Order: sequence, then C-alpha cells, then structure tokens
Amino acid sequence: MTAQRVTITYSAPPAFLATDHWKQVYAALLSQLPLRNLHWKSATRPNIRTIQELDVNLVSAEAKQTEHTSQIPQTVLEKPLLSAYIVVCDDTETYRNTVKKQIKEWHSTVTQRKNMEWLIIHIVRPDAIATSGRMFQMKASVLDKIKADFNVEKRDRCVELVWAYDSDYENPTAWADLIGKLKDGILCAFDAAVAQREEEVKRSEGQRQMPGWNFCTFFILKESLANSYEGMNLYEDALDTYNELEILFFQVLREKNLSWFGTLINPAPKDDSLPLLSHSKKPYRDLILANTISVFDFRTYLLARQCSILGYLGHVVEIARKAVAFLSAFGRRLRDIEEILPTHFIESWTYSSALSVVEQCDAWATGLEMNKATIASFNAVKGELVELARHQLDIIGISVGHLPNRPPFSMAFPSNSRRDGGTPATSSTQRISKSEILMALEDKNAFYKVYIGITNRAIELYATAGRRKFALKMHGDLAALDVHRGRLSEALQTFTSLPAHYAPHGWTSLESYMLFQALGIHTAAEKPRDREWIFILLDFLKAYVQDLGKELLMNTEDHIEYVTSLVQALHEATQEAESDLSHHDHPAISVSVPNGQARTADNRDGALLEVQVTNALPCDVPADEVIINLTGRDGAKLTFLENSATPGIYSLHSSQVRMSRLSLHWLHSSTPPPSSSSASRSKKPPTLVSIPRDIRALDVRLRQPRRMELGTPARIVVAFNTGRNHVTRASVKLSAPSGVEFRHNEATLIDSDNDALEAGEDTFVLSDVEADKTVYVSVPHSDASAFHAMRVNITVEYTTLVEPDVNRSLTLVRVVLTSLPLAINVEDFFRGTRLFTRFTLSSTSHQHIRLKSTELRATRDDDGLKIAKAMPRSRTVTTITPEQPGKFLFQLDSARGQDREPLKLHIIYRVLREEVESVIESAVDSSLSESVSLQQYRAELIDTLVQALEKDASWVNRYEATGELIVPGIPVQDGEVGEALAHLIETLANPSSNQEPSGEWREIIIPVDVPQMHIVAAARLRVLSNPFNPDAVESLPPLFAGQPISALLTIKASFHWAPAEDVEKRSYRMRYDIEERTKDWLVSGQKTGEFIAEDDRTFTTSVTLIALHHGHLILPKVSVAALPIPGEGRMKAPLIPSCETYQAHGAEAILVLPRGGRSTFVVNMGGE
Amino acid sequence: MAPQLRLNAVAFVSPQNHPILIRTFEQPRQDELKYHYIAHTSLDVIDERIQAATASKSTDCYLGLLYVEDVAVYGYMTPLKVKIIIALELSDSIVRDADVVAIFKALHTAYRRSVANPFLRLNVPTENVTDHSILVSAGNSRWQAFRKRVDEIGRAVGGFQ
Repeated sequence: MTAQRVTITYSAPPAFLATDHWKQVYAALLSQLPLRNLHWKSATRPNIRTIQELDVNLVSAEAKQTEHTSQIPQTVLEKPLLSAYIVVCDDTETYRNTVKKQIKEWHSTVTQRKNMEWLIIHIVRPDAIATSGRMFQMKASVLDKIKADFNVEKRDRCVELVWAYDSDYENPTAWADLIGKLKDGILCAFDAAVAQREEEVKRSEGQRQMPGWNFCTFFILKESLANSYEGMNLYEDALDTYNELEILFFQVLREKNLSWFGTLINPAPKDDSLPLLSHSKKPYRDLILANTISVFDFRTYLLARQCSILGYLGHVVEIARKAVAFLSAFGRRLRDIEEILPTHFIESWTYSSALSVVEQCDAWATGLEMNKATIASFNAVKGELVELARHQLDIIGISVGHLPNRPPFSMAFPSNSRRDGGTPATSSTQRISKSEILMALEDKNAFYKVYIGITNRAIELYATAGRRKFALKMHGDLAALDVHRGRLSEALQTFTSLPAHYAPHGWTSLESYMLFQALGIHTAAEKPRDREWIFILLDFLKAYVQDLGKELLMNTEDHIEYVTSLVQALHEATQEAESDLSHHDHPAISVSVPNGQARTADNRDGALLEVQVTNALPCDVPADEVIINLTGRDGAKLTFLENSATPGIYSLHSSQVRMSRLSLHWLHSSTPPPSSSSASRSKKPPTLVSIPRDIRALDVRLRQPRRMELGTPARIVVAFNTGRNHVTRASVKLSAPSGVEFRHNEATLIDSDNDALEAGEDTFVLSDVEADKTVYVSVPHSDASAFHAMRVNITVEYTTLVEPDVNRSLTLVRVVLTSLPLAINVEDFFRGTRLFTRFTLSSTSHQHIRLKSTELRATRDDDGLKIAKAMPRSRTVTTITPEQPGKFLFQLDSARGQDREPLKLHIIYRVLREEVESVIESAVDSSLSESVSLQQYRAELIDTLVQALEKDASWVNRYEATGELIVPGIPVQDGEVGEALAHLIETLANPSSNQEPSGEWREIIIPVDVPQMHIVAAARLRVLSNPFNPDAVESLPPLFAGQPISALLTIKASFHWAPAEDVEKRSYRMRYDIEERTKDWLVSGQKTGEFIAEDDRTFTTSVTLIALHHGHLILPKVSVAALPIPGEGRMKAPLIPSCETYQAHGAEAILVLPRGGRSTFVVNMGGE
Repeated sequence: MAPQLRLNAVAFVSPQNHPILIRTFEQPRQDELKYHYIAHTSLDVIDERIQAATASKSTDCYLGLLYVEDVAVYGYMTPLKVKIIIALELSDSIVRDADVVAIFKALHTAYRRSVANPFLRLNVPTENVTDHSILVSAGNSRWQAFRKRVDEIGRAVGGFQ
C-alpha cells in the first residue's frame, strides 16, 4: 500500500482550461513541486514539525469529484486539502460582468467543504502590470477587487501569479507568493483535519471500557491518523501513532478482552515462509475490518507497518532489533499452542522471518549513509537475527536426530520447555513451506550445509561488528558439530585454541568446558597421550580447581571420578614422556612454608624445613619429589633438598613438585617476571625462612693469607672445616662476581702433610679429610687491589663417609678484605754515604693496629748494605691508630755505585679486634676446659663479650697500655653462665703475666727500592773568627749587630748514591744560592754562584754577613741545584741530575749581641 | 515488582571483565553453559553500550535490553564499573524498564554489602586494597553471603515459583 498523497484541486472556466496558456501554466506549476520546507505548527504538539519535502497531486476538481468515498476511515489526505480557482482577467469590467459570478459559484461550493482550504490564483501578464503601473492607480486592479469580494476573513486567500510566456520557469520570486499560499493552505487544512480526527480517536479511546467497543474499529480509525502523517512525510508522528496502538494492544491483551480477534493464529499455507516485513502479503486491513484477523497476523501487520516507517527514517538497526525481539517473544507465545501448528512451524517461521528481515534491512540500508558505530551495531543486530535463525536449526536438528540433544545444541531450546527432543505431536495437517528447512529435514548433509553456512554467516557479521565473544561462541558451536560428525581433528583444533580466549579474564567455567571437550575428543580420537595432551590436561586441571571451573561439568560424583582417572593417566603419561616437562604456577597444588624456622638435622649436615603441600584436586596426586628454592641476602640461592644449608635468613624463591618427568614450578619470590598477572602476587611480603647455624656442619671460610707480600700474586686462604663428618671427597669452587679470577690449578695446601689436594681447572678437590679438621688451601687470584673487599661465591659439593650416596652441596657467599689495613709512607734523607729512611705506618681503617715488629731487610746478604734500626727497646708491641701513625727509622750505609736490589720491609702486625677476639677466645677456652657442661655456651660467651666491647671503646687505651681488658657494661647474670662470665671478666681484667697476648700475627712484606741521588750536597756556612785564616780554630769573638761577620760557605758534594749507570760521571755543574733573609741578615759577597762539583770534594767561597739585630740568629739557608747537562745528540732533552742538599749548619744559631758604645746627641738650645 | 518477570540467571562481572558470580535459578543443569555464554557474550554488547553512553555523556547505570536470545538479557553497570547482567524469561508482554531497574538495584545492593565484608581483605596486604581481585573474590564459593543474597533476590523476583 502506497501512502496517500496530498491533493490539490483546481478549477477554472472550462474555456480557459482548454487553452495552451493553461497547459503552460500547469506545467510550470508542476515544476515547482514537490513543496519544500513546510513548517507545521500544531496546537496539540509542543514543537514545530518540519516537512522537508512534500509530494502534491494537482488534479482538476471535476476529476476528483468522480471518485467515490467509503465509510471506512481513510487518511485525511484522501480528500483534497486545497481547492484553487484560476482567474485570467485583466479587465475590471469583464471581471465585474462575468468572472466574479463564476468565482462566486465556485466559492460557494468550496467553502461548504470541511477541512479544505481554497485559493484564488490570478494570473496576469507582465505587460499588463507594466501598463497599469505606468498610470496612476485610479481604479482598483482586478486582484484588489477579487480580494475585496472574497477575502471575508482576515486570511488572504488571493494571490497573483505574474506569468510570461517567455519568462523563466525557475524564477523563484515569481512563484514565492503562490507557493507560500499553497503551503499555508495545505497546512491549515491538514491541521484542521488532523485535529478533528484526533478528537474522534480520543473520543473512541475514551469509550474503551464500554460494551460494544471494538479494538479493530478503533485500530482502523487511529491508523488513519498514522497514514495521514505518513502521507505528509511526518514519519515520527506516524511511528508514534503505531507505537501507541501497540501499547494499547498489549493493554487490551492484558485485560484478556480479545473477543474481536480471531484465534491466536490461523496458520495459512505459506505463513512460515513469507517475508515478515511485507504488510501487503495478506489483506490485513480487510481482515481487521472483518474482525477476523488472528493475533499472529495482527502482530505481524503492526510490526511490518512500524518497520516500514522506520525504513523511511533509515533506522535499520532498530528494525532489526524489533524483529529479533518480536520473533523471539512471539515465537515463545506460539510454543503454547505448538500442538495445533504444523510440525516445525515455529522454527520455520522464525528462520525464514529472521533471514527475510536481514534481506529487507539490507535493502533499506543501501544508499544510507551510516557512521562507523552504526554500521557495527547494524552488523551486530543482523548477526543476532542470523543466530536466531541458526537456533531454529538447532531445535529442528535435535528433533529429527541430525544433532544430539546436548549442549551447545540444546541451548536453543527455550528454558522450561520440553526437552525430549522428539517431534511434537500435532493436530495440524498442514505442512511447512520453507524449502530450505524441508530439504534440511530430509537430508542430513543438506542440514549440515545450511547449519554451517548460517553459523559462518553469523560469525562473519559478529566479527565485522566487533562482537568477538559472540563469534567465539559460534566457533564453539561449529566445533561441537564437528565432534558430532566425527571430524575430530578439526574439532580438537578448535577446542584447544578456544580456551586461550576465555582464560585471560578468568572465565574458567568456559575455559574448563572447552578443555574438557578437547580432552574428550583426544580420547575419542585415540591420539597418543603426548606433551600436547599433558598440557591440555594441566590447563584443564588448572581451570577445574578454580572457583567457577566445575560449574559446567556434569554432576559431582562423575567429575571426581573423571578427574581421578585423568590424574592417573597423567602420571602414566609423565613416566612415558620423552623429555622433561615443566609447568609454571599450577593452582591445583600449592607449596607453602608454614613455619619459616628450619631445624638442624641433629647428627647430619643440613637443616630440615617443614613444607606444606596442598592439593586442591579431589584425588591423590602422585609426586616424586618436592623441591624448595630459597634466595638469600646476597642473591645466594639455596635448593632445599635435604642436604647442607647455609645458615641465614632466606626468602622463599620458588618451589617445585616433580612427577616423573613433569615438574610443576611456583615462583614465590618478590623478584617476579614483569607480567601483569603476577603483579598482585609480587606485592605480598616474602616468606622468610631462617636456617639456623649448624656449628658442627662442614664450613668453608676465606681470609687473607697470614703472610702477604706485595708484588707477588695475591692469594686468599680457604679454611675448609669438615665439622662432624669425615669427608671422603669435596670439590670447592670459588668465583667472584667482580670478575676476579681464581687459579684453582695453582692451589696449594698450607701447613699440612695431607697431600690429597687435586687442583683442577675450575675446582680443587680435597679427598679424605677427617672429621673436625681444618684444611687450609691457598689459592692465587688475579689482581683485586681495585676493590676494598672482595665477594666470593663458594660452591662445595661433598660426600661423607657415613652417607656415601648422598651428594651434598653447599653454596656460600663470603666477603674477604683485599685492602691492607696499613698505609705506608716512605721518606728518605741522604747524609753523605748514609741514608736515613723513615717509614710512616698509619691505619687505613678506624681499627687500631698492633705492630709487633718492623724490619728492613736486604734481599741479598752480600749487598754491602748495613741496615740499622732505631727502635725503643722498652716496648714490644706498638699501637698505631688513624690519628696516631707510627714512624720507624732505619739507617742504611752502603758501598758506592752498586746495583742495588730492593729492600723488603717486613711488618708483623694484627688488627686490635682480632687480637682481642683471640684473647677472649683463649680465655674462654681455658676457663671452659674445666667444665664440660659449659662447652655449649662457648659461642654465646664469646658473643656477649665481643658485643660488650663493641658498644663501648673505653677499654681500648687501658688494654693497649697494660694488656688488661676491662669489659664494660655486662650486667650480672645468675646461673652457670653468669658465673662463668663473671669469672671471665675477672680473668681478662687481670692477665696472668706480662707476656705477649696469644693469637696469630700477620705479616706483610713490602718491597722498598733503595733511593738514588746523583749528587748529595752538604752546604755549610761557617762564621770565621779570623777571616784571614779560615782554618784557625778559635772560639768566635763576640758578634754584634751591624758588625760585618766573615763567613765561609763550603759545599761538599758526594756522588755516593748516584745511580749505578751514572757512576762514571765525575763532575756536575752546580749553582748555589744563599737565601736572602732581609729581616735578620745582610749578605755581602757572591750570594749566587756556579761551581763544578766533584765527588767528595768541597767547594769553598767566602761571604760577609751583617746581622741586622741582636739575638740568636739562624744562618741563612743555602740552596744548591745542579745545572742541566746539555743533551747528548740532537733529540735528547737536557738532563737535570737529581740533587739533594742539606744544611749542615741547619741546627746552628749564632748569638749576636747588641751593639755597645756611645751616642752623642746635639740639642740646639735656641739661644743666640 | 511486576509478577510476570521471571529471573533465570544473574551474572556479576568485574570492571576488568572477570566473572565474579554467575547464578542460575531453577534452570536445567545443561543450560548452565548457556548462561555462562550469555554472561560472556553480553560483555561485547555492554562495551558497545558504554561507548555509546560515553559518546552521549550519559551517566545512567542501566544499560537496557542488551539482546534477546530466547531469554531477554539486560545489563547494568555500577558507578564502579561492575557489570551486572540478568537473563529474564522472555515474555510476549511489554517489560517495563522500571521493574528491571528495580531488580538491578537490589542486586547492586547485594553486591555492595558483600564487598563491604572486611574479611575479604583478610589475607591481602594493605597496599593492595584497591586490587580488583578482592572484588572478584566476593563471588568465591567460600563467601556464602553473597550467593544467599542473590538467591534471595532471585526468589523475590519470582525465580522460584
């Protein structure tokens, strides 16, 4: 049914209608149509409705009158909204005589018509206007007269159309007045008509509760309004009207007052396959008028009308959405009367309707401009329609046996409906008509083809709509179909790839369902239980133990049994696995350490840690081994395998459960992989495990060698203590993270006759070391002097005599100092053939250092060197502190010109702390030797004392001076330990004798080069008593300030310490310079001069000094420098020989007396 | 509450799309899968609705009818982005949004009260209080109160007739 259009009738004198003139005007008028931009202001509506475009029928009044009218309410547009009369008359006389009468005749008929406007169009020629315009308007024009005659109301219903044959049709100004009048007229008439019709509708609706009211009659009445709107292109209003009708229908339905309807459905032969949205497929209006329409037809008609109006509006998404809701909801309603419907009627109807809606929507959508979001939702809703169609196939498939009656196929059954899956008995003799469905019913393969086609279509639509999750579900359905059809490998592929889509967000129920399917198929396909199978199984168990995992799997008893068999199969499979498998963070089993306190194993090396293994599966899990990995402070890793453990505090790093070749890992530590899933777990505080110290266990310590010699490869000493066990074999490997390399193959034993050291490339191996024995091994290493201390990782693997089958391993991190506690500074003083060397030893740390001896030794005895040491004999041990360095002076005397080997400085020392610790240890040991019961407290006693000393340094000075160790601040304790402690304090405070404290001394050997000097000059200024006899040995006469004093400058050169290669050089040119000391002395004579120095010769010159004031004056210094020796050859730079000068008179002072005598002052008395 | 509504299933989904709780009321066991699927697929539609809502700056929690698949699936998103999805039995009469919203409000309250349980945070470090896993854990089978509250609502709506 096409919408009724707006009609305008025209009338004119018949003579005029026959002219060409009219034909031209008519054509021009048509060209102005359709009307545009009509603004309808309705009194009953709040907003102005704008009609963009309106088609108008322009017919002659005679033609219109011939049409018959029916009693059925039609649209208000059925009758013409506007009647126009066309006047062509330029002459007022003619008008008055004939035309006016004609118009009046017409006018009297039109004004009687209800809901119709009229318009008189006066067509004039432009030349007529021109002629009349030129003259004074003495007479009223024809138009004015018409207006005066007919415009009875205020409204102006007369319009002039200036018409020229040759003028432009399109000229809008010529038409504007006429078109405006046309629009006004149409809207005015329409408004009146609608208002009247609305009034009728309202009246009828008000009578709803009265007997005799008929919904169908009312529907036709109100629908006429909707049709009117539609004809006026007011689609929203039309839609609203239909929506109101729908709501009313549901109200009436609820009131159960359906007497004016036929049955719910009266299935006609093709009902199930006709396109849903066609409102002309049946004579619906006639059925409604006849009160025989079924609810089914009525609803279909209503939907079709709504959708067609939505189609005009371009709201395709809404159409599809409405269709889905209608098909699902009404389909549900039809189920109630399924037994009277043809077999599979509902499915066939829903299927065909859904697909036909998709087609219809696509047709409506062509040419529509939709944005991206709309396209997506359009596709999505089309997907829903296609899926709805697919569900019908599910139901049909199950009922005829093409599909099994189980999920996911059975999901299409509406909830609470029959589940038997069989074909329902029906009383209807009709058959469905949809050919696809009929074919699918007959032929299984055709069914599958349709089924897969439809499903893929839905997947495609969902995918383009961005509805990934819907598409996934459809993929699952296809896989289920593959299973049913025995296409197992395809199904397995789908089911193994699907879980990954459900796992990330914890949809474990769906994940476990997919995995369950995969496992089932795997078994059905009799595939080998390989790696892949194990991982599927582990994933399944993972999902299974999670909260939602079990929900979709059969009943409880079954799945316990099922899981038990799976775990059993898993165990078998892991035994047969070809390679090791590992799996991380499986939630079925969890390993925790409930109590972080490990125990020492009483009589074996190692510690015991309680571990709690929780199994979340409802069955036993066979496990071969549980392994715990701990991380320590320095990144030390510890594998807890019931063997040796390094004491300390660890955090739980990871754990492992092994089942044959499968190992399950869990990471507990706070250094997690950066994946987001473990981010939350990583925030948990670490589980701490503390491993107590087992004093009797094997231990390895590192220390600096007792004797160090600078200039030789550095070594460290490994102290290997066996503890309680006789160790049959132990391999020790040292490594330093700093990159220092250890030369294991050069390791040597110290102080031991045990020759059981086997030095290898990476490790050294000790064999057969008895219990409670310490073996020292010295290992050279590359230079580590850049570091203050060196961190060394020690790995020991060992077996004991008692348990030869247990391989124990021990990983330790030790820090060993590499820097010297001492800093050494050397100063040399040359005095002729002698050399005084002063060593300044200072402590590099805050520690006090106890020096036992320092000794300078020549490397060779025949060196001709005589070394004498200045050393106070009173003290045996010297203490140096950072503030108070020690100075040690040696005198060397040597023969001249020998190639000298470096000397070696031997320092025997120890750090105060070590000394005190050993003092305490020996005191404790000696006091404990009397009482066995106290042995266990040894460590505690030592700790108490050492800690007390650490806290307060007041004891240091006294100890260093006297050897008495006054332990400060130990509270008095009761009991055996308290007594022992008190006794110890007493012993320490009163050392038995004055003997040197026990304990080990360290030795450090420092090579020292013998210094070399080309020239050693001894400068001397000697005041002469008699300048004319310098050699006279007389006592000096008194010297007075201001008095010239003769002095003799002697410079004695010695080449004794010249380097061996320069021994041949006999003389050097030198320059001396007497220091100006202008406050004390005036120097007269040759203050600066050059001379030739020769070995053991003295250069002499005399100067005169004048003391500037009296007092003890020190003589001026003399500096002597060697002049450069011109370079030999062209390229050589001048060589400056090394030279050292000392002032032989440096310590001498001369007494200068104040000048005596008389002074005469002449004073002018001022007289004449 | 309109008596003709029939609540078939309820799903709570966390802001990160983790399922918190999926409850079905008096449904055949083999339909469990269907409602899990519905809860999962609804998330796609909810995403579409959220996008549309952000575009139109709407702040309404109620997302309306999501889709129809022989049950009517409605969505709701709490201000803290927890999604509540319900499946109502399809009926051929008009379902008023106000009735559906009333069900959602009741379910939201049940959820709020359950998440307020301080013991949910019992073994969680304090810096983790905003972790969504707590919200998810409310639906854990260890915490019965939430399930009971949801079941009660199901019963009140008419799930158990």
